[in-house]
Amino acid sequence: MLNKFSKSTLWFLGSAFAVYLVLQILVSAGILSQFWNTIIRLGAVMAIVSIGLNLIYGFNGQFSLGQWGFYAIGAYAAADVTYRWDVNKSADGLVVLALATSLSGIAILWLHARLSKVRGLDPLSAFTLYLTSTILLSALAVQIGIAVTPVVTGALNLLPAAAAMQIVFILAVLFSAILAAEISYLFGLPILSLGSDYFGIATLGFTIIVKILLDNSDTLLGFVEMKGARGMVGIPKVTSLFWVFIFLVLVVALVRNLLRSSYGRAIISVREDEIAAKAMGIDIAEYKIMAFVIGSFLAGLAGGLYAHINGFLHPDTFNFIKSFDPMIIIVFGGLGSITGTVFASFAWALILEGVLRLWLPQGFETWRFVVYPLLLLVTMLLRPAGIFGNYEIPFLRQVLPKLRKNQPSEAEPVAEVRP
Amino acid sequence: MTSIAPNTTSGPLLKVENLSKNFGGLRAVNNFNLELQPGDLAGLIGPNGAGKTTVFNLITGVYLPTSGKISFKGQEIGGLPPHTINQMGIARTFQNIRLFPSLTVLENVCIAYHSHAGYSMQDAILRNGKFEAKEKELFEKAQDFLSIFRLEDRQAEIARNLPYGEQRRLEIARALAAEPTLLFLDEPAAGMNPAESVALMDLIHFIRDRFKLTILLIEHQMRVVMGVCEKITVMDFGEVIAYGEPQEIQSNPRVVEAYLGRGAAELAEKLQRSKAQ
Repeated sequence: MLNKFSKSTLWFLGSAFAVYLVLQILVSAGILSQFWNTIIRLGAVMAIVSIGLNLIYGFNGQFSLGQWGFYAIGAYAAADVTYRWDVNKSADGLVVLALATSLSGIAILWLHARLSKVRGLDPLSAFTLYLTSTILLSALAVQIGIAVTPVVTGALNLLPAAAAMQIVFILAVLFSAILAAEISYLFGLPILSLGSDYFGIATLGFTIIVKILLDNSDTLLGFVEMKGARGMVGIPKVTSLFWVFIFLVLVVALVRNLLRSSYGRAIISVREDEIAAKAMGIDIAEYKIMAFVIGSFLAGLAGGLYAHINGFLHPDTFNFIKSFDPMIIIVFGGLGSITGTVFASFAWALILEGVLRLWLPQGFETWRFVVYPLLLLVTMLLRPAGIFGNYEIPFLRQVLPKLRKNQPSEAEPVAEVRP
Repeated sequence: MTSIAPNTTSGPLLKVENLSKNFGGLRAVNNFNLELQPGDLAGLIGPNGAGKTTVFNLITGVYLPTSGKISFKGQEIGGLPPHTINQMGIARTFQNIRLFPSLTVLENVCIAYHSHAGYSMQDAILRNGKFEAKEKELFEKAQDFLSIFRLEDRQAEIARNLPYGEQRRLEIARALAAEPTLLFLDEPAAGMNPAESVALMDLIHFIRDRFKLTILLIEHQMRVVMGVCEKITVMDFGEVIAYGEPQEIQSNPRVVEAYLGRGAAELAEKLQRSKAQ
């Protein structure tokens, strides 16, 4: 069984497990305070959003400031589900979210398979089709959900309370991530045909829209428990060190599997040269939307985990100014380097949220935002490609096959061109 | 030229009829006609701005034609997106080399082979046996292409760091990795010295026979065009002004005029006559 994994894989999994074990022991023994525990979990969550953004910007070349909006969607959706379970003792949130995302997901996949074959389809008509079908299905999901809820609630209540909470939490996080991914698909469809800069502006607009909607979530959206601009309280604090590590390791491994395959190379070719990629048979629209949706899925996932760290959500956390945080992390760590992204995320959490908060005297926390740009400025001057450039740990590298020396068949080699 | 390409349908491989393209008020291509038989090695020449590259862009789907018909293997391809046209079997190189600059030489070729990868995204994410097997096959195939072009020692090099001649060869290798039946070469000899051009001519003949290709090339170096092409189409101001074998084209007065200006044809004829005497 062991020799099925390569040495680099074992190294990666082993060291990730070792780091987790050490941290967990330190936390359990009370050597690391709750404050540092939170900082580490924040770093891991930030790493997940930033890996998603790196996939979109670093690997696919699309400048997106919208990830923070998807992070917010993931956070609020997951928080609402667990809140309803914890406080209202009802699984209605989970049931409706699961049904709505599954039905819409199936509809999107089905429509995508059909519509991509239509020649010369106007993107706006396609968008209208997607939008109306997902809205109708979501409305249907609410109706079915209300009918099914008592059964699901009853079933979950048969389990021990703690186990039920964990199940609801993990499902809420996963379905919120799917929700973010679906919204990103609908949003990306009409705007991904824009050039990269315009795409960046459009996604910034998306983040602002989400923030405004969350400011008015109790009145406009009708989610009273989100309490709009006053901030949502009472979310169960169930994101443990264990869960963030599991998710981070899974995300790193799966993103690596995607990137180091023919599909990943297709995603990267879009960044390198769109025209050449097209001429080589790469459907660039397809790979742009693929990278964007996967990146947004990761943002939603991270949001769901974040919501259950502090048990408190405020729309100001999802302000567009903050949407530059993951952008700065990936530029700092190295565009196109997963290793650099993970490293920079933890550095961001430990230094900016941790050390500077503790070290700077009372009332000087705002200085962080002076230190922060200065650090970035120095990095850009000294290492414009980011701390890690495009370095990857062995586990994340593309393994090039060995040269095969004995070339058969090629009897007639081509005349050597000597400049 | 006898048919050597594995083309089951009889008739031309590529047939372009009355193709026109307007950019605003400018008619870049006007009533362009072209027929390529399987196995042809044809040239497309003309002065700068004659619309040659526009024709390539129209056939490969980069531009939408204003009017006209393009059929490939008997199928209408006008208006299809470039990636579909590539997957149907038309590959190309670019006038100004367009590699994937920060990827390795091997990855450049692998990307072109993407539509033949043979595994799904689920296979890739789960890294199952099918993925491992097909990925190995893909790499081996790409290495074969590189070794044909004498680039196998360069596989781990970043494409941007290759010398110019090798970049040109890599671009052709990459185009061939898409397994086309029809290959367009846009000024393959641009920027090459005479010795390199000769090597390129051998290379073009070699790949045509080795991969059973049909090739259409745009070229300004007359030595290359005349030495390689069996049929030549000459364009000027978006229109076809001559079509024929290299010998006919060289002595065609309209072609000489297009290149050298009005009156030049008569002068050339006079010169030739005086030389003969």
